[in-house]
Amino acid sequence: MNVSTQTWIVVADDPAVSGLVTTARGLGGAVSAVVVGRKSVADSVARAGVDEVLWLGEPGDGAPVEAYAGEVARVLAEAGAAPLAVVGATTPAGRALLGAVAARFQVPVLAGLRGATLEGDAVVVERSVLGGIAERRVQVVGGPSVLAVAAGGVTDEGTAAAVREVPAQPLGAARVTDVRVKEQTGVDLGAARAVVAVGRGLKAQADLDLITDLAAAAGAELACSRPLAEGVDWVAKERYIGISGQHIAPELYVAVGISGQLQHMVGVRDAKVVVAINSDKAAPVFAQCDYGIVGDLYEVVPALAAALRAGS
Amino acid sequence: MKIVVAYKWAPNPQDAEVAPDGSVDWSRAKGAVSEYDPVAFEAARQLADATGGEVVGLTVGAASVDSPLARKAALSRGLDRLVVVADDRLADADGTRLAAVLAAAVRSIGDVDLVLAGDSSVDVAEGQVPMTLAGQLGWLGMAAVSGVTPSADGVVVERDLPGGITTLALTGPAVLAVTTDAVVPRVPGMKDILGAAKKPVEVVPLDALEVPDVVAATTLSGSRPETGNRRGVIIDGADASSAAAELVAALRTARAL
Ligand SMILES: Cc1cc2nc3c(=O)[nH]c(=O)nc-3n(C[C@H](O)[C@H](O)[C@H](O)COP(=O)(O)OP(=O)(O)OC[C@H]3O[C@@H](n4cnc5c(N)ncnc54)[C@H](O)[C@@H]3O)c2cc1C
Repeated sequence: MNVSTQTWIVVADDPAVSGLVTTARGLGGAVSAVVVGRKSVADSVARAGVDEVLWLGEPGDGAPVEAYAGEVARVLAEAGAAPLAVVGATTPAGRALLGAVAARFQVPVLAGLRGATLEGDAVVVERSVLGGIAERRVQVVGGPSVLAVAAGGVTDEGTAAAVREVPAQPLGAARVTDVRVKEQTGVDLGAARAVVAVGRGLKAQADLDLITDLAAAAGAELACSRPLAEGVDWVAKERYIGISGQHIAPELYVAVGISGQLQHMVGVRDAKVVVAINSDKAAPVFAQCDYGIVGDLYEVVPALAAALRAGS
Repeated sequence: MKIVVAYKWAPNPQDAEVAPDGSVDWSRAKGAVSEYDPVAFEAARQLADATGGEVVGLTVGAASVDSPLARKAALSRGLDRLVVVADDRLADADGTRLAAVLAAAVRSIGDVDLVLAGDSSVDVAEGQVPMTLAGQLGWLGMAAVSGVTPSADGVVVERDLPGGITTLALTGPAVLAVTTDAVVPRVPGMKDILGAAKKPVEVVPLDALEVPDVVAATTLSGSRPETGNRRGVIIDGADASSAAAELVAALRTARAL
C-alpha cells in the first residue's frame, strides 16, 4: 500500500487536541482532522492548528461517540491515498476510533509514544512498551502509522480552518439514556511541586486524614495508587498515579503504603526525589526510591508531619 | 444471551529481565490470567445467570496460552466452555493481529451477543485490543465500562467517563472493556477448580480461521530506559520520630522541601 504525506487526527468529541496536533505537525505534511461529536468541538479543533476539519455531524438520538468509529475509518479510507499517519488520543473514546482505523487498514496502533519523526518518507516512532520496561524505535511499512498520544489541552492558534460536514451513519447498538456530571475536583497534580500518595497500606478510608495532614504539612497534593481510586473510591480517579492514571514529575513524591509495582512507579519515573514509607523492607518500592523509611505508616506518617512542621 | 470473554494469559513485566538493547527475557515470569480479566469473567457470569445465557472464554496467543494450568485458571472463573487459538506464529503478534484472530474466532463461535474484556492487559497495558477487536468485527466498542446489568430488552451499560457517569441502553452486539469498578470477581474455590476439569475446551487451529493479513511494525532498535538511578537511602523506622527527623534533614539537604 502506498501512503501519502497526509496526516489525520481523529477526534472523539473532545476539544483537547494539542497533543494530537503537535505529533501530527511534527511529521511535516498537511494535517486534517475528522471530528466526531458536537459542532462546538469541530469549531474548536478548527482553531487548533489544523488545515481542514471534516465533521461527521451533530450526534443524534443518544449515539455514543464510539458508534461513529467505523465511519471515521471509512472517511479516512475514502479520502484518497492512504494517510501517512493517523493520530488519536489514548482516552477511552480515542482508543475506539483508533481501533476502527487500525482494523480498516490492518496496521498496529502504536502507543507509549516518546516521539515520532519523518525519516526520508517513513515515520519512525520511539515508544515505550510493556509498561515502560523497554523502549523501541519502530516503523510501519506498507500502511499508515496509527499513533495513540496523550490528548493535551485546548489551544487557539487564532485562525480557523474550514469545517466541512460529511454525512455519517452511526451504529445503532446503544443509546445514551443518562449522564450524571461528576463533581469537578479541578486538581492539577501535574503542576504540584510535591505529591503525597497513599496505597493499600491504608486500612480504612477514615485514616485518609493522616495522609491529608501529611500532605498539608509538606505543602503537597494528595494522590494514590489505582486500587484506592477504582473498586473502592476512597480517592478521586483523577488522583491515581501510574500507567493508566496520571504521569507526573514533581520535585518530591512520597509513596505511603504503596508496594512499588511498575504499573504505579512508571507514573513518577521523572519525579526528582522519591520517598517511600512501607512496613515491608522487601517491598519493591525501596529499590526505586531516594529515601525510604521501613516502618508502620500509622506511626511514621504522624511523626513525619510533626517533623516537617517543627522545622518550618 | 451468548457472551464471549476475551482474556489474556500473560506474564507480569515486573518479573521480566530487560537487556540494555531493550530485549525482554520472560523466562522467570510466570503466565497468569491477566490481572483485570477476572472482572470480565465475573460480569459475564452474572449477566448470563440473570438472562439464562452462556459464557464462552476465548484466548489467542502462543502455544503456551493453552497449558493445563492456563485452562484450569480460566475455566474455574465461571465459564461454561473455552475456545483457544494457541499457535507459536502468534508469539510476537501485536494487538491488531491478535484482534483480527479474536474477531475470526468470535465469528466462528457464532451468534455472539456480547464480548467482554478486561480494561487492559498486565503486560502490554495499553487497553487497545478490545477496541481494535470491535473495529475488526464492525461492532460498537466501548472502554471504561463500570457496570453491566440486564434489562428487559438488552443490557444497561454504565461508564465512568471524564464527562460524567454515563448510562447507555445496549441492544446490539458490542465489545465492552470493563474496569474493576464493575464487579468484585470471585476467588475460585475447590468446587470451581474441580468443576473446571469437566468443562469443554475447543482448540481451534489458526489455519482454520479466516484472518486478514496484518502489517506488523518493524523494530529498528531497542533500549532499556534509564531508571533506578535513585539514591536508595533506607532508614529504620522502629523509632518513628528519629526516622522522621532524619528524613526531613536529608530532604532539606537535597533541596526537595
Ligand atoms: C494493566 C494494569 C494497569 C495498572 N495501572 C495502574 C496504575 O496506573 N496505577 C497504579 O497505582 N496501579 C496500577 N495497576 C495496579 C498495580 O499493578 C498494583 O496492583 C497496584 O499499584 C498496587 O497498589 P498498592 O501499592 O497500593 O497496593 P499493594 O501492592 O497491595 O501494596 C500495599 C503496600 O502497603 C504496605 N503496607 C501495608 N500495611 C502497611 C502499614 N501499616 N504501613 C506501611 N506500609 C504498609 C505493604 O507492605 C505493601 O507494600 C495496574 C495493573 C494492571 C494489570
